Amino acid sequence: MRLYFGKRFLRGAALALGLFAPGLALAAESAAVTSPRVNATLLSSRDAVAPGERFKVALVQKLAPQWHTYWLNPGDSGEPTQIKWDLPVGASAGEIQWPAPKAIRVEPLVNFGFEGTLLLPLEITVPADAKPGETFALKAEATWLVCEKICIPEEGSFSLDLPIAAASTADEVAEARIDAAIASLPQPAAFRGKLRDDAGKLVLDLPGLPAGAADLRFFPVSDTLIEHAAEQPFAAGDKPALTLIRSSAFKLAKPEVSGVLTFTENGLPTAITLLADADSALMAAGGATESETRPAVVRIPMPVEGADLTLWAALAFALAGGLILNLMPCVLPVLFIKALGFAQLAHRSRSEVREQGLLFMGGVLVTFMVLAGAVIALGALGSSVGWGFQLQSPPLVIAFAVVMVLIGLNLLGAFEIGTSVTGLGDGLASRGGRLGAFMTGVLAVVVATPCTAPFMGAAMGYAVTQPPAVALSVFMALALGFALPVVALSFAPGLLRLLPKPGRWMLVLKQAFAFPMFATAIWLIWVASVQSGPQGVLAALVAVLAAGFAVWLVGVTRGSFLRRAFGSVLAALVVLGAGWFTVQNAIPGAATEARAGDIEAWSPERVATLQAQGKPVFVNFTAAWCITCIANERVALSRQEVKDAFARLGVVYLKADWTNRDSRIAKALAEQGRAGVPLYLFYPARKEAQAEILPQLLTVDELIAAAERAAGRNAKTAALP
Amino acid sequence: MQSLTRQTFIAGLTLAGLAFPAAAFAQGAAKVGAPAPAFQAVDVEGKTRNLQEFAGKTVILEWTNHDCPYVRKHYNSATMQNLQKDMAKEGVVWLSVISSPQGEQGHVDAARAKELTVQRNAAPAGILLDPKSVMARAYGAQTTPHMYIIDPKGTLAYMGAIDDKPTSAASSLEGAKSYVRQAVAELKAGKPVSEASTKAYGCVVKYAPLS
Repeated sequence: MRLYFGKRFLRGAALALGLFAPGLALAAESAAVTSPRVNATLLSSRDAVAPGERFKVALVQKLAPQWHTYWLNPGDSGEPTQIKWDLPVGASAGEIQWPAPKAIRVEPLVNFGFEGTLLLPLEITVPADAKPGETFALKAEATWLVCEKICIPEEGSFSLDLPIAAASTADEVAEARIDAAIASLPQPAAFRGKLRDDAGKLVLDLPGLPAGAADLRFFPVSDTLIEHAAEQPFAAGDKPALTLIRSSAFKLAKPEVSGVLTFTENGLPTAITLLADADSALMAAGGATESETRPAVVRIPMPVEGADLTLWAALAFALAGGLILNLMPCVLPVLFIKALGFAQLAHRSRSEVREQGLLFMGGVLVTFMVLAGAVIALGALGSSVGWGFQLQSPPLVIAFAVVMVLIGLNLLGAFEIGTSVTGLGDGLASRGGRLGAFMTGVLAVVVATPCTAPFMGAAMGYAVTQPPAVALSVFMALALGFALPVVALSFAPGLLRLLPKPGRWMLVLKQAFAFPMFATAIWLIWVASVQSGPQGVLAALVAVLAAGFAVWLVGVTRGSFLRRAFGSVLAALVVLGAGWFTVQNAIPGAATEARAGDIEAWSPERVATLQAQGKPVFVNFTAAWCITCIANERVALSRQEVKDAFARLGVVYLKADWTNRDSRIAKALAEQGRAGVPLYLFYPARKEAQAEILPQLLTVDELIAAAERAAGRNAKTAALP
Repeated sequence: MQSLTRQTFIAGLTLAGLAFPAAAFAQGAAKVGAPAPAFQAVDVEGKTRNLQEFAGKTVILEWTNHDCPYVRKHYNSATMQNLQKDMAKEGVVWLSVISSPQGEQGHVDAARAKELTVQRNAAPAGILLDPKSVMARAYGAQTTPHMYIIDPKGTLAYMGAIDDKPTSAASSLEGAKSYVRQAVAELKAGKPVSEASTKAYGCVVKYAPLS
């Protein structure tokens, strides 16, 4: 968990002091260059820089209403913003990372540009031989054309003197702003387009475009590819494609075309960078006579997070998070069962116990890999998923509920699965419990997903923004942390010997553990009810019934081959029928409307409106399947003291419910460097002010203090600008 | 298409434009190698000019807007005036076109247009006023400046930028390649225009709404 609170506070205090002693003020933003049209500054994510580090800066342009500046390809007229750097020897600046442009219509022409407030982020590299104690002077000359209908070329000189220190210091506020800008940059497309000639028109094939994409617009980097103002008719369906009109100055410098594709997916705006292969006929028609002057490729965005967390820190966080996850209520019953298994074996063979421990770890690692792989793969395909995403699918939630019931029945001795499925029955005593030990590891991870532990959020948020190899290693560290206590137990004969000898107490305890399993099943069915309403409950109970019946059938048809075959086929039919019924009835989203209750639903626009009205806003990112979230709601959020404080300070409480999939919420989480819920944000009562991130485990005092800070009632921070 | 006169063709385009402005604009714009769209416009002397009267001569159309920073770059440095004078020496007809409608930035009346010419020591053969943007639509003019060269046979030989430095910075003029000079020289030598279509740069042409 990042120490936002403390640093924020210190920075706020420093800023407050700075008001009285300007010389002491931390300057991570240059003096502004202003005109009646533009207020421009250079913003740095660092207060102090370290030798050899790369850090993020952004040119910020606040544009007056109706005025715009231009994208890389400005469209029918205009000129993109340019930055020339004058940096210390050995330092270097990366390229501007361009946000997705908007089509700005000036009938009958179209420009590609930006309105409102614009951040143009890029990276600066500090030379490795920079001397701590000296100053890193950042100087830039920027030019831009700002147009309404008339156009004014403007320019500005920006300078920022950043102290060089052994370790760099982040300007949390500036960094959060730049990170948010980077998070909303167009993401690389998971597919390649194809540009071909179709009877004189250009057709851009978009295989892999998400179904449901609408309102498409392609912004090519080259300004000699298409008529910018022309309509771009879209053919949806199996072979999605955009029809474009070739530019009168048509030119193809390379057989590869790059650009940004904007569209809405389920009503939500999305932008991706797209590379398309031009077919050879087009190349022949448009082969350039001169080299292309613009960069051919839209840069792949910089990672969102990672400025705060280095890989090592993320790995350490993940390991700690995994360890703490063992203490979360979701996992405890499973771990007890494992420990019980050890108790059984402890007095027999040490090597067997070790083997069991390692197999358990194997199950944990493999399951984590599968989950992480799914998160990464779905993310690469453009789906916004996070930790616990599988619980956003009602049929899967119901399937887990069924597994819980079956385990409970098994623990009670209602039937014996033997060593084949979970190994929890006979497996406790059997020598052949290898698969069982492995499966216990799998089960432990599966039941752990609704829980997040402290440290996990930041680590996973870091992981999902990194290349797959890095992401997998962070998840591995999490898995190792999670498996460690059980493995340690299996390798510590001394500890094991402390356990009482096997006996009747073990049978009783085993039976007792059936009840946490049933409790978990009840909770999962409740989650299904939240997701799919009464139909979801019906589906879940039918699934439980069918599963019980199927298991019983298999049990009573033991004996001859024919009997077994008959029993298995019948059981399979029952399970398939129940599965079909579940999928038919458990439809995500069926019940979310009803759930919102008296608490307002979250949207970024609502936050902006409330902030503009001078109201502090609390946003609770939660999900019905997130136990940590529900625990927080019980111990802190629903407490009368908190409600009173919120009412007194005029705090508006918004809830972002992620029980069902919601890409807007997933995006908002990603912007805060998180992969899952819970996330608690407190927006100060000032327009466009950045939110404070609260810890993952809330306390009443913390909440009230945060509410006071957000409302600006705390004397110490009231002087913030 | 051949059975249509140019006027009916343009009238047709205008009608089509009423229904599909963007598509008509994109497809109806002038095309290099095709006959240059006919035009009829009143010049600053009050005379109606049209393309036919320049048959046999090379004609340059310059879309302009005196307040546009890109236009100013070329006029303040006298680059544009020198080009106009050099072209006149070559026997090329230079027509400046002002398409800003009344009420829009860049709109001028005849008197103001003449005054600007004197002030700037400019040397166009004529200045056409196109406040209803009819001519701009026919040619698909996008920016100021936007240059078109029509050969003596009435074929559009060049359209696009004035040079290869798409910026409003005066420093860019040094070493800039004039596409107009290059095209005119190639036409004179009887060679095909090597860069016949380039991307125009500058301020957006202010169009009158279609009515």
